[in-house]
Amino acid sequence: MIKLFSLKQQKKDETSTGGKRKATAAQLRLTKDMNDLQLPKTCITKFPDPDDLLNFKLIISPDEGYYRGGRFSFSFKVGLNYPHEAPKVKCETMVYHPNIDLEGNVCLNILREDWKPVLTINAVIYGIQYLFLEPNPEDPLNKEAAEVLSTNKRQFEQNVNRSMRGGYVGNVYFEKCLIK
Amino acid sequence: MEVDQPNEQSDASKWSGRWNHIKKVLERPSPFAHPDFEASSEILEFMQENCKLLVIGAGGLGCELLKDLTLNGFRHIHVIDMDIIDLSNLNRQFLFRQSDINKPKANVAAEFINKRVKGAQVVPHFCKIQDYDSAFYKQFHIVVCGLDSIIARRWINGMLISLLEYDDDGNLDQSSIIPLVDGGTEGFKGNARVILPGMTACIDCTLDLYPPQVTFPMCTVAHTPRQPEHCIEYVRMFGWEKEKPFGDIPIDGDNPEHITWICHAACKRADEYGIQGVTYRLTQGVIKRIIPAVASTNAVIAAACSTEIFKLATSCALPLNNYMVFNDVDGVYTYTFEAEKNDTCIACSQKPRNLTFAPKTLLRELIDHLCEDSTLQMKRPGITTTINGKNHTLYMKSIPSIEEATRPNLSKSLADLGLTDGQELIVADVTTPNAIVFRLKITESETKS
Amino acid sequence: MAEKEKKYDRQLRLWGDHGQRDLENASVCLINVTATGTETLKNLILPGIGSFTIVDGGRISGQDAGNNFFLDPEKIGEYKSKVAMELLQELNPDVKGEYVEEDVSQLLERTPQFFTGFSVVISGSLTLTVLKKLAALLWPHKVPLVVCLSYGFLGYIRIAVEEHAVIESHPDNAHEDLRLDDPIEDFVKFCDSIDLESLDKKDHSHTPYLIILFKYLQTWKNDHNGQVPNTWKEKKQFKAAILAGVRKNAEGVPEDEENYDEAAKHVNTAFVPNKIPPELKAILDDHKCLNITDSSSNFWILANGLRQFVQNEGCGFLPLRGSLPDMTSDSERYVKLQNIYQAKAAHDMQIVSNYVSQACSSLGCGNGRVSERDLKRFCRNAHFLRVLRTRSLEEEYKQPSKAVIDEFTSDSNSDALWYVLWRAVEMFYTTHGKYPGIEDEELEMDVSRMKSFVKDLMKSWGIPGAIEAVSDDSLQEICRCGAAEIHSVAAYMGGVAAQECIKLITGQYVPVSGAYIYNGLKSTSLTLAV
Repeated sequence: MIKLFSLKQQKKDETSTGGKRKATAAQLRLTKDMNDLQLPKTCITKFPDPDDLLNFKLIISPDEGYYRGGRFSFSFKVGLNYPHEAPKVKCETMVYHPNIDLEGNVCLNILREDWKPVLTINAVIYGIQYLFLEPNPEDPLNKEAAEVLSTNKRQFEQNVNRSMRGGYVGNVYFEKCLIK
Repeated sequence: MEVDQPNEQSDASKWSGRWNHIKKVLERPSPFAHPDFEASSEILEFMQENCKLLVIGAGGLGCELLKDLTLNGFRHIHVIDMDIIDLSNLNRQFLFRQSDINKPKANVAAEFINKRVKGAQVVPHFCKIQDYDSAFYKQFHIVVCGLDSIIARRWINGMLISLLEYDDDGNLDQSSIIPLVDGGTEGFKGNARVILPGMTACIDCTLDLYPPQVTFPMCTVAHTPRQPEHCIEYVRMFGWEKEKPFGDIPIDGDNPEHITWICHAACKRADEYGIQGVTYRLTQGVIKRIIPAVASTNAVIAAACSTEIFKLATSCALPLNNYMVFNDVDGVYTYTFEAEKNDTCIACSQKPRNLTFAPKTLLRELIDHLCEDSTLQMKRPGITTTINGKNHTLYMKSIPSIEEATRPNLSKSLADLGLTDGQELIVADVTTPNAIVFRLKITESETKS
Repeated sequence: MAEKEKKYDRQLRLWGDHGQRDLENASVCLINVTATGTETLKNLILPGIGSFTIVDGGRISGQDAGNNFFLDPEKIGEYKSKVAMELLQELNPDVKGEYVEEDVSQLLERTPQFFTGFSVVISGSLTLTVLKKLAALLWPHKVPLVVCLSYGFLGYIRIAVEEHAVIESHPDNAHEDLRLDDPIEDFVKFCDSIDLESLDKKDHSHTPYLIILFKYLQTWKNDHNGQVPNTWKEKKQFKAAILAGVRKNAEGVPEDEENYDEAAKHVNTAFVPNKIPPELKAILDDHKCLNITDSSSNFWILANGLRQFVQNEGCGFLPLRGSLPDMTSDSERYVKLQNIYQAKAAHDMQIVSNYVSQACSSLGCGNGRVSERDLKRFCRNAHFLRVLRTRSLEEEYKQPSKAVIDEFTSDSNSDALWYVLWRAVEMFYTTHGKYPGIEDEELEMDVSRMKSFVKDLMKSWGIPGAIEAVSDDSLQEICRCGAAEIHSVAAYMGGVAAQECIKLITGQYVPVSGAYIYNGLKSTSLTLAV
């Protein structure tokens, strides 16, 4: 059992030491997450400021599936409450995709209702990559795209291609995102 | 700042019998006291002259804490809060009146207490806890939190852990421990806990005790709403940005026009789907993520925390070990248990290890040491640190863009990198489950640790 | 009004506008100003109680001003009741405060009816003689009495109320009322109209789990002589059958169908038979429910209607609650299900309403006596109704309850010990006219005096051997504190006591059934039916 205070103990005065601000739990965890990143070959990360691990971009260039040949950029914002809260992810490339809407919102369960602190940045990146391999029409964000995918796969493929080449699908214009 | 008027103050604050109640438990021995407890009048003197407390938050719990602590005999209390007073605070934050609305909580609370409780010297800080560094936090004997933010809790938890000092054998210097007493409430439920940083379970050890924010699947909100909350969430996530009803500004949950607009839009959506139950109150609750609160629960939890602080400071009884939950929905129920310290907690599990180098040592050499040292044997360590409050990535091999940007650091000396004696390095490696904190000792002699 | 709604927003989310109305129509009386008493009032005034009255004939001493936030040290020597009332009233301009500068025992003699008009009477500190007199006065008038006090690190609250009925008990984890054991006709029809096999992929994965459960249950019953899966093993089999229904993709790998997962997850809870809980059964069989008169409270008239429903149309079931938990589903089918459940709930409620109207007219009391809102609230909460009856102080002091004896004699670590010691402290005070340990010189002597009072008490309870359970340490502690009222302990008890008063006033949430003992030494507590 410890005795916490000797009665006369005076705590150090406010001005007596110049303190070094120490690491936060979020920073410890993020350093670990980043150092452990093992990305599939279709993914790269870009850190505009290497000192700022909280904000970065993910670029996915699928090499199979509907979206092969495309290049899609996502912004990641990791909050100070990480990993208690999930990182915030937005798609910055306009994409014709059942689970990503035209504002860039991404419907991925582990980014919202199924987030758990044991999950990592790596897990989120794999999750997003999976969306490009297996778009899911059952829980859509872009309802039109989802309907086409579930009713007419060929049409869906054509629409994806048209959007990636740059052009209209319906009355929505998509910027080119094909890399050739 | 404080104006010292010793004579006048002591006259007004001393009256016969004032401390009769607490003197009974401070000046008499008890079988339930801490083994080191020595009943004497010096304890009250210590509380009044030396003991310095920090109250974080001047809201529902904070107001109660200031009252409870000063009436229990403490005098020197600092209080931090970044908020201003809102009408909806007045049903429980009893130091505030209608005329105080929009004033800083910390200032109004301190002023009220100093006026009502003679001799009390509450010092307000109208700012964020993150605005101060360790030099500020070091001055306190005990810190108590009355917050609704997990971020802030974790931050102060980390701060107090960082103030721990260890001797060369890795033994904790107990005089460096600043106990953290933490309270939280939600409706008729609450909890109070005592944390001895470095010794007992900390906030991060028990992070799973805090429920995560309620979120709804995005696709449900977008296309298959079933509950009124889904409709409100829809307007927040999609409608606001699309329609920009008040221009290109974010939602302000305190602006009734904003809430009214969202409520109408959500009602419209609910009607389309045949969903009932969208109301103004619910809309505001969802948008602001309002937690219900009553005076009584705040009073109970703040009082439980204050009693623990009284026990910690005086040893006149043993402190709570270490967690109590309270619930008075059905009868009154408390449950007291010992939350377990997590051996792999990212915040408190590690004592900083020392690494000793000369200032001329190159970062490359330091990394080589991490990989070659027989007790470490790291594979590809990534290193970050904090200098003057700013995070720095010193080197990280696994991310190409960072590797490229930080590669020049490898051939810089520690001195050139701005690393000084006592600097903490955060090192992550595949060989350890968590990042490790190293404390850099910089000496001219070439001995490595 | 809008201002008021904003001010009270955070609590309206707990007890609603109707709870707030009850609070604003209530008046409480505090007898004798202690820190515990004024803290209790503070926590009633802040949420907006209608009015409060403080009765205390005493004047402020230095010690009183030392631990009480609402006694101004500059007014030492003035009447406590007046000063405390003024500083308390200042907390909330919506609340009316009054004070009486007269000793409670005089007031009890002169105008006993003064006390019987309050919604709740709170006793801060009273000698046992006066307390018993007060309790005996309030009991037949059905005015709840709340005794609250702090003593060193210990606290004690005692509620004395002959009967208190709770419609909205707001249980934390209530079972949903899904009626799979007695399915609603329209629900069966709706389920029959859906053929899981022929649904496309999207509809299949968005079929509410309730429908899946029902369909698989029908199949199961056909194969098991009409029985639902009961044993753990059967439930496991049933779960497996459900999960086998998950669609598979071209490669034969099961798809991700959350609704099927939800169905499997709810197997354990969904088939719990919708029995009437024993506590509710006791209410329906209560003589007050069986024999209603024109002086019966609305609660019993409603309970009588409920009983008739259960016996007749309900066939042993309660009226349907009508709420549905959220579940994976498309909007359309979920809303359809919800409408089916709500329509059935409204139908059931109408029947209860008819019984209530009949009862009212046969009793000769107006039909408008029970409002539609009350009826709805009653039916929705039928499962959770509670009636609380505590013993009177007279009974308590005549002989200990079985609960007290059991708790105290079976667990040597129980905080029931402090109840026993509190009773001995009262005996001490009655004999010596002061509390034990008040004076330093008599501290040791008081410990042995206390021990003999405990012995006497144990003897009178018929458990003389139980004296062994009262350690010397605990006797020493109770004397050491010398009746000190530590502010933070008082603040704790003031918080608890205030919430108990709010429960008694609003009829929402469930009050303590007798006594609450707080042990601040260990931060533990105990409720005890004393």
